[in-house]
Order: sequence, then structure tokens, then C-alpha cells
Amino acid sequence: MTSKKVVVIPCSGIGKPIGTVSRETANEVIRLRPDVAETVCLAALTSGDEEAIKKVKNNHVITLDGCAKHCAEKNTQAYGKEPDKSYMILKFAAQNPDKKPEGIVDIGKGGKELVKTISEKIISDIDEIKQNEKNRV
Amino acid sequence: MEENEKKISKVGIVSCSGEDLPEGSISRLATLDVLHHKKPFDTTTICLPLYVAGGEGDRMFAKNHPTITVDGCEKLCAKKATEKYSGKVTHSINVRDFIKSSDDLKNKSSLNEDDKRITAEVADAISIKVDEILKENNK
Repeated sequence: MTSKKVVVIPCSGIGKPIGTVSRETANEVIRLRPDVAETVCLAALTSGDEEAIKKVKNNHVITLDGCAKHCAEKNTQAYGKEPDKSYMILKFAAQNPDKKPEGIVDIGKGGKELVKTISEKIISDIDEIKQNEKNRV
Repeated sequence: MEENEKKISKVGIVSCSGEDLPEGSISRLATLDVLHHKKPFDTTTICLPLYVAGGEGDRMFAKNHPTITVDGCEKLCAKKATEKYSGKVTHSINVRDFIKSSDDLKNKSSLNEDDKRITAEVADAISIKVDEILKENNK
């Protein structure tokens, strides 16, 4: 049986620094768990790209949304896939007021620290998902 | 221009943001450069996935603004999603048309010198098109 990957889907919201935090977090998680974690272009999913839909349907999914519109989560659900975990980056930001992202292009030191904090949580989720998968075999 | 004819004041720019490839970062950063620095008063944007997650107002974007889409690859997701959910785009740009065979694009997080040069070229191309569209629509 082929082991499933964990597809981390950030919203990448273009209008706010928190969208960049979601994107940077996905990149950081993939850097730390290159054998398990990967991503998919959310725009590809939105446009109905078959390769993107297949990737999402056949693997575990964690969505990272920047705001209450929940674009990553809703676009995933639109193809009949319920994410294993869905997070809103704004909640992490509220829980970590000392780690404030600065700009959309450059999230600065505070933003990078926020990315590190969220990445640790996502990594822990990925390890749990993979452990549960092993336990079921 | 007739009195009841609405003047076009802003051009919409929709970027693919492609998380899975370096060209997505270039499309996003070139779009942000135009929105924030080159044409801040002439342009606006929308998060592309909002076409599915948002409401009717979000889906009216391309009907309310002449729209330029900026894509990172041949899948042209920004163009396809905009035309599927929102309306016909006025102009479409593909970052790959600006890449030379000698360019070395690897990183999705930070830009190297090749990425920066391409980003600047794409931003210039978007700006030129914004001017053309506004001029054409407001004759």
C-alpha cells in the first residue's frame, strides 16, 4: 500500500500579511518534513485542475487559512474532501501577540517567529496523522 | 463619453499565487509590486480562491473591473478560475513567458537574482497593460 502524503494547503491571501504567514508556514513544514508533507496550488484547485483534485482526494489534507473566509478549507470541501485539520492563522496570531507579522511581502522577525510556532503545531499534527495510519495497518 | 457612462478607475489584477512552484511566488510578488508601488491608485485585487469561498459580490469582480490575470505556469489557473466564476479577463500574463532557458528557479520562499529580475519584468508588463486598459476604456 502506498503511504499517503499530507498536503498542506495555505490560503496565500494576497491582501494581508497573515496570508503570507500561511504560505510561509506551508513552505516551512515541507522543508522540515520533505518525505511526508507537500502542497498543492490552491488556485489550481479553485480552477478545477484534475491533477490538483486527485492529489487532494488521495491524501491527507491540512488547510491553513488567513481569515474568516476559509478559502483553503472551502475550496477543499468543494471537491468532497474534508480536511483532516483546518486552522485559521488569525487565531495563532491572537494567541501570540508578541509575534506580529509586519508586511505582506516581508513578514519580518515577528512574522517569522509566528511561522515557526505554527509550523511546530502542524508538524505535530502530521506526525500524529502518520502514527494513526501506522496503527491502523 | 456619455454622461451616464461609468468611468473605469481601476484595473483588477488576479494572481495565481501558485504555492507549488517558484513562478507562483514571482506572480504574487510582481502583482504586489504593481498594487503597492507602481500603480496603487489604478489597481485592485482579490484573493483568487474567494471565487469559490466568497459571495456573489466577490464573483462580480471581473464584471466590475477590467481584469489582468497573472499566472505562473501553463495551467493558467488564475485565468481559468476568473473566467469560470467571474467573467472574461481583459489580458492574461504567464510568468513563464519571461523566463530564459539559462534562468535558475528553485526556491519557493525567497527570491534569487534571476527571480528578482523576472519579477521586475513581469511587474513592468502588468503596469504597461494597466495604462493601456485605462486609456482604452476612458477615451
